[in-house]
Amino acid sequence: MLNTKVQKVLEIDLQQKTSNTKSYDNLNKYIGGTGLGLKLMEIYKDANPIIFGVGPLNGFFPFASKTSIVVNSRNRVEDIYIGGSLSLRIRFAGINAIVICGKSPTAKIINIFNEDVKLEKSPTETKELGLPGKRSVLEFNELNLVADRYFESPEEILEKSFIEKNVAGLVITGTKNFTLKNMAEYQKLYEYILNKSGILNTVASNKPACSNCPLGCEQSKTGEIGGNILLHSLVACGYAENIYSDIGTLFSCLNILGYDYTHEDLQNLPNLVEKTLQNLNRTGN
Amino acid sequence: MTKNIQASRSQNCNGCELCVLETQRQAGKIGLEEALIRILKDFRMNSNKPTFSVDIDPRIESQNVEKIKNICPKDVFDIS
Repeated sequence: MLNTKVQKVLEIDLQQKTSNTKSYDNLNKYIGGTGLGLKLMEIYKDANPIIFGVGPLNGFFPFASKTSIVVNSRNRVEDIYIGGSLSLRIRFAGINAIVICGKSPTAKIINIFNEDVKLEKSPTETKELGLPGKRSVLEFNELNLVADRYFESPEEILEKSFIEKNVAGLVITGTKNFTLKNMAEYQKLYEYILNKSGILNTVASNKPACSNCPLGCEQSKTGEIGGNILLHSLVACGYAENIYSDIGTLFSCLNILGYDYTHEDLQNLPNLVEKTLQNLNRTGN
Repeated sequence: MTKNIQASRSQNCNGCELCVLETQRQAGKIGLEEALIRILKDFRMNSNKPTFSVDIDPRIESQNVEKIKNICPKDVFDIS
């Protein structure tokens, strides 16, 4: 079953070569994705982390296909979003966020299998790591970090962070399955949302698609930066705003998964994020 | 009578994995483990976009294959 009461965070310390999974029961008000990522940036700020995060809808509903990444770049906290299969692999690894701390003494590829982490020497053929069909690979193609050999990260922000930390790539495999109390209702809701592709702010093309999105739109190659905080805490694609900004649809999704968020929780999120950003700025990130 | 599903046009696959998730929902689960369809990325270098292959477990015959065919946005599957 999906545990909706805690945020499960996989901490990786590159310096110490250790990893640890922590369950936070006091971070649910940050929802997930960017909201959670910014709060984790505040908690782990001394370790200058890179934070990958998914939201409550990732893996469960169509068009909630992106991964949120929060990094400190030139003393400025940035939130960026990349497509591909990464968000589903993080979800099916059973974790909500990955916090990568410290700097590796030598170049490494981070190899995550559910909650287990290995630091592999670089270069290593990434196709030798993880499980085919259940893994996502984020690696350098010349100077750019690319997920699944296609989906890019915007504005070279993540590239700089990976280079600073001596990280040559990241492979994640997720093999966990979830069940819900009411699978029949879930199936109906899934199909209802899938049938709404016509109201997205993008159209289908012949490009590779993000996982759980049928479109393969022209924009899928390029990541996103900044934008609607609730959408990016869920973490839905920015082009799906017309679907997930509908509060009725959103609560139907959250409720079927077992979340007990209220309207006030969602309304309070921008204030919480603002306060977190103020704290980060006050302490010089 | 059982129906067979084949990935007759796997070259059209865009890697969205909707078919994988549909087979899993039909089996009462959400995830990728033990899925009756696997989408494998071709990791050839020097290609400007990935290509995909579609692995189908024969046990898929017991599922509603029409639904699996119909959820594919790229018309990859045929049923016989």
